[in-house]
Amino acid sequence: MATPTHDDLPATILEQSADEQRARAEALFYSIGDGAIATDEFGRITRVNPIARRILGFKKSELIGEWFPKKVISVTDDDVPVALIDRPIIRAFLTGEPITEKTYYRRKNGQKIPVSMTVSPILVNGKPRGAIEVFRDISFEQEVDRMKSEFISLASHQLRTPLSAIQTYSNMLAAGYMGEVSSDQRAALETIINATDRMNELISTLLNITRMESGSIPVDMRPLQVGKLADEILQELALPAAEKSIKLSAKTVGNGPKAIDTDRFILKEIITNLVTNAIKYTPENGAVKVTVRLRAKNVLIHVADTGWGIPKYSQSQIFSKFFRGHNVVKRETSGTGLGLYLVKGLVDTIGGRIWFKSQEGKGTDFFVELPRTAQVSAGHDTAAGV
Amino acid sequence: MARILVVEDDHDLNNAYCIILKNEGHEVETAYDGKEALTKLKHFSPQLILLDLLMPVMGGLEFLQAYDLMKSHPDVKVLIFTNMENSPEVAEAYKLGAHRCIIKSWTAPHNLARVIDDALHAKRPKNGSAKAAA
Repeated sequence: MATPTHDDLPATILEQSADEQRARAEALFYSIGDGAIATDEFGRITRVNPIARRILGFKKSELIGEWFPKKVISVTDDDVPVALIDRPIIRAFLTGEPITEKTYYRRKNGQKIPVSMTVSPILVNGKPRGAIEVFRDISFEQEVDRMKSEFISLASHQLRTPLSAIQTYSNMLAAGYMGEVSSDQRAALETIINATDRMNELISTLLNITRMESGSIPVDMRPLQVGKLADEILQELALPAAEKSIKLSAKTVGNGPKAIDTDRFILKEIITNLVTNAIKYTPENGAVKVTVRLRAKNVLIHVADTGWGIPKYSQSQIFSKFFRGHNVVKRETSGTGLGLYLVKGLVDTIGGRIWFKSQEGKGTDFFVELPRTAQVSAGHDTAAGV
Repeated sequence: MARILVVEDDHDLNNAYCIILKNEGHEVETAYDGKEALTKLKHFSPQLILLDLLMPVMGGLEFLQAYDLMKSHPDVKVLIFTNMENSPEVAEAYKLGAHRCIIKSWTAPHNLARVIDDALHAKRPKNGSAKAAA
């Protein structure tokens, strides 16, 4: 996003006197509904609006003339001061680009407050002449997010408890714990078990989406052989593939190192979702192939199917929440439209990227590229071993 | 054959686990919350505890703290049996010495018997290095 320059200003503004322009800029600055701080080209604070003073707890006189990165302390989630080179205002000066981020500021009284901020450099002839940072206190939003996650987590638990009882007793009946069952009774029990499995998957997906949206999925980056994980997942999915006579195969190619730093639970969720979708939306006697390509700087996971494909007109929406292709809704009624939305969010969480190509009637290819070294996206918790 | 304590507040599930485990030849005692489990443990020395996390009176995490698993009972294996997969509570349970986490609603009876058998023969993982297992 380019910052407006002198040449972009309308002629009417150029005709205004310097005093009038200054007064207008001042009024505009002080009427911003969020905290706003302006600095000169050295990062010294030149203007502070009342909301910024209220959020930070400083008087105007305590801020004006001070070096912004030193006076307004930014800390991480773990209370570690953010390094100067990583401060958005420094990066904005260096790159000449606006930067939007979430961070924590320390108030004058030492209290840590979460803020969402955007800092834009003021460029004159391509050179930074100052910066304006606009920020707001997001404590309330974070609290609402936390409460929402807690509610969904508890609600999911309460939904799963009776479901677990139905599932466990149905499985026990089918396994003969309560005596012999006829083939008709076994078929009925299998219907109950399949339905509870689907209900469980739906609850898991909702729970994961809630955690992903609130950035509270624990991320545990450890060395992992992606090829081995893909083999393991395909073994688990052999049964649903066999039921549709779909040929399921996995291979690992390339000369890159075998292991990458990633989160096993999250990557398993990603690959399982992609392969499950491929099986679900591929007609009988088709094929689903997983190729793990080990490269020097990253790993590419390619999931290819010979399925119904995604119509061109809806390809731009496939990572949207609740989206389902019109061509598959007629054939497969059990999907929720949440799987790919979750997959995209999880790929972002572990610092990867996802894309696809698809041709209706021919099949779909999904690609997930993951970096070799851990890159957890901002706003996500990290946790050791969950 | 092993001595197993099942700590689960849902009576239907508690009863189901008892049937499955007794069917496998294990000696089983039951408790419906952490406090009752601590009382049972005065007279019953299990090799393995199947522990729910979210329970009334005393939950699974409080029980693990009170039981002082890592220091006082290092040979007892604790399997967390929960529906809160990948949650901070599960991470905390690992820190307190739990051996493994099993998701209740993903675990068929024959899998439960297998997971318990594996746990009885396995060494305790380092803190925090284990993952939820179906």
